[in-house]
Amino acid sequence: MPLIAVHGLSHRYGGLQAVDGISFEIAAGEIFGLLGPNGAGKTTTLECILGLTAPDEGRITIAGIDTRTDPGAARKKTGAVLQATGLQDKITPREALDLFASFHATPLKTDPLLARFGLVAKADAAFETLSGGQKQRLALALAFVGDPQVLLLDEPTAGLDPQMRREVQDHIRTMKDDGRAVLLATHDMEEAERLCDRVAVVAGGKIVATGAPRALMAGGSLEDVILRLTAS
Amino acid sequence: MNALLHLVALSLKLNFRNRMAILYGYLFPLLFLVGFWAVYRNDPVPLALHVGQFLTVTILGSACFGLPTTIVSERERGVWRRYVLAPVGRWVFVTGVLLSRSVLLLTSALLQLALAFAFGLPVPTHPLGLFVAFAAASAAFLAIGMVIAMLVDNVPAVQALGQCIFLPMLMIGGVAVPLQSLPQWAQHISAFFPGRYAVEAMQLSATGSGIAAAGFDLLALLLIAAASTIAAIAMFRWDKAFKPKRGWLLLALGMWLMVGAMAEMRGPVQIDTRDVGPATNYVAMPSAPAPKMSWQDVTEADIDGIAFTRLPPDEAIVSPVSRSDEVPDPAIQPTLDHIRDALPHWQPGTVTDPVQRTRNLLAIAAVPDILQMEQVERFVPRLVFARLQAVIPPRDLPKILYWIAMHPDDGDDAAIHQLSAFGLPDISGPPAPVRGRIMLYAFKLLGRLSGRIPPV
Repeated sequence: MPLIAVHGLSHRYGGLQAVDGISFEIAAGEIFGLLGPNGAGKTTTLECILGLTAPDEGRITIAGIDTRTDPGAARKKTGAVLQATGLQDKITPREALDLFASFHATPLKTDPLLARFGLVAKADAAFETLSGGQKQRLALALAFVGDPQVLLLDEPTAGLDPQMRREVQDHIRTMKDDGRAVLLATHDMEEAERLCDRVAVVAGGKIVATGAPRALMAGGSLEDVILRLTAS
Repeated sequence: MNALLHLVALSLKLNFRNRMAILYGYLFPLLFLVGFWAVYRNDPVPLALHVGQFLTVTILGSACFGLPTTIVSERERGVWRRYVLAPVGRWVFVTGVLLSRSVLLLTSALLQLALAFAFGLPVPTHPLGLFVAFAAASAAFLAIGMVIAMLVDNVPAVQALGQCIFLPMLMIGGVAVPLQSLPQWAQHISAFFPGRYAVEAMQLSATGSGIAAAGFDLLALLLIAAASTIAAIAMFRWDKAFKPKRGWLLLALGMWLMVGAMAEMRGPVQIDTRDVGPATNYVAMPSAPAPKMSWQDVTEADIDGIAFTRLPPDEAIVSPVSRSDEVPDPAIQPTLDHIRDALPHWQPGTVTDPVQRTRNLLAIAAVPDILQMEQVERFVPRLVFARLQAVIPPRDLPKILYWIAMHPDDGDDAAIHQLSAFGLPDISGPPAPVRGRIMLYAFKLLGRLSGRIPPV
């Protein structure tokens, strides 16, 4: 049974068809990439899966739970790192993890999470003093605190320098190694190639190609593939 | 529940790490209190008649600025977008922010009251009633604060909209400037601002007969709270990317209009000028009467010279007296019973000098009047009049009352500070206003005893 199953997902914002009949499944221990330019419909797809946006059509299940009929149960199985999310300036990583742990019935312990995501030295520092990479690692730790089976990551390395990007990517890979299903939305082809087992290329709200990153790159770079597919 | 407690505890902790939040949440209310004290420091009782005002300023500040600033800034930086993904009810986050704000507001008000006590504010006559009125006012204004938070997209907009509500309410809404100091047109406008009802509801428990007398004010606050809560829920948004449904604003503002219209139909606000003037204002003779050496020299002709018609009417706010057929509100009956039972044992009411004894007993009526203690101030004079007729010989009482009325500044006023035996506040400040009220009550009882004022 796939941990994430999306079938015929559609959503329209006014006159704009943001997502148009998208379907895919993600198995345990798999990183699945949604790759596409800005405005392709990646974020809307993630928001529909997370219940932040109500889909117009389609069915979504998380670990077999229908997100429309039992959103609470589905949310318990899910961790997410979204764009444009932050924390209060004065909160510390330890306090944030303790707080988010209180939202879950059986959360992971704070100290091991701080160690796992390399935040021990900054555990009691104010959020505003953290570097971009540290903030993003904290975001991953917060998504992880409920020990979710499914992780949804929206551009998790955007804006980070190469070294910090590599650190965050290493953490994402270990999530896959734990047997979780990871849905990664990105427009970074190098990241998709480096992390994803399979990639769906999204353009105009539709999936225009699905496959292993290397297979999709045959005959040119991944960027060329995207350009070719979106042009058609 | 665990999540809610964590959220409230963390919100409070973060608030105390924010210097600006402490400045606005705690220092500002104290500065307002000092301002009230400075302006009204010559009041008969420091701050007693302004409790409703300074507490309302604190609630308003917290609701117009503190609450929406927290919500909007957290929403702007995506904290709420992160919260909404958590597997707990979304109400937990809204309740958490409201609870933590309520704790901040309550502690700020307690701090303000502590400083007010240091300035000489007497203990409120109905502490529990004051808490209930404070809670109702907080509910109304925090709900308005939620509407502001849902309406605007960023923190500067909170400040702008907050000021649009805060300043008019302070200036012409009966909050910072007392209603009696406002021109008539502003008093009418104040009926359409919720601040006035918060001030009145709390003031009635600070110096009046309690929330039982504040039925309309509490109703107004609860109606405004309900309408604003519904509007805030309907306009709720986790993310500023979503546009609020502004049409619901009409419900919140419509309730202000409805409550204002109801208040206007109830009639104008009564005004207490508090300046009763000298005794000669109430003497009909154009020239000063011949000086007397003693109260025993007072004659019937002296009493004939008093212009009883110039006294404030019994139904007015200054020196009121209840009608004999009037039944007190059941809420104040225990207070009146207590005063009646304590009267025979009150030491200042049994002193040897009959003039001082009369002056002391009249003080029991004068102090609630100064404090505008609503029904208490209207019914206590009758108890005092009855007691005076029981302890002063009938032939002496008119002469003594005349003497006291014409010599309001004579005698000892220590009894003013011994009213705790009756459950009345111990007041501080200059005694002249209390002596003025003793004068008026002496005139009024004298008028009744001599048949110049018909018994009602």
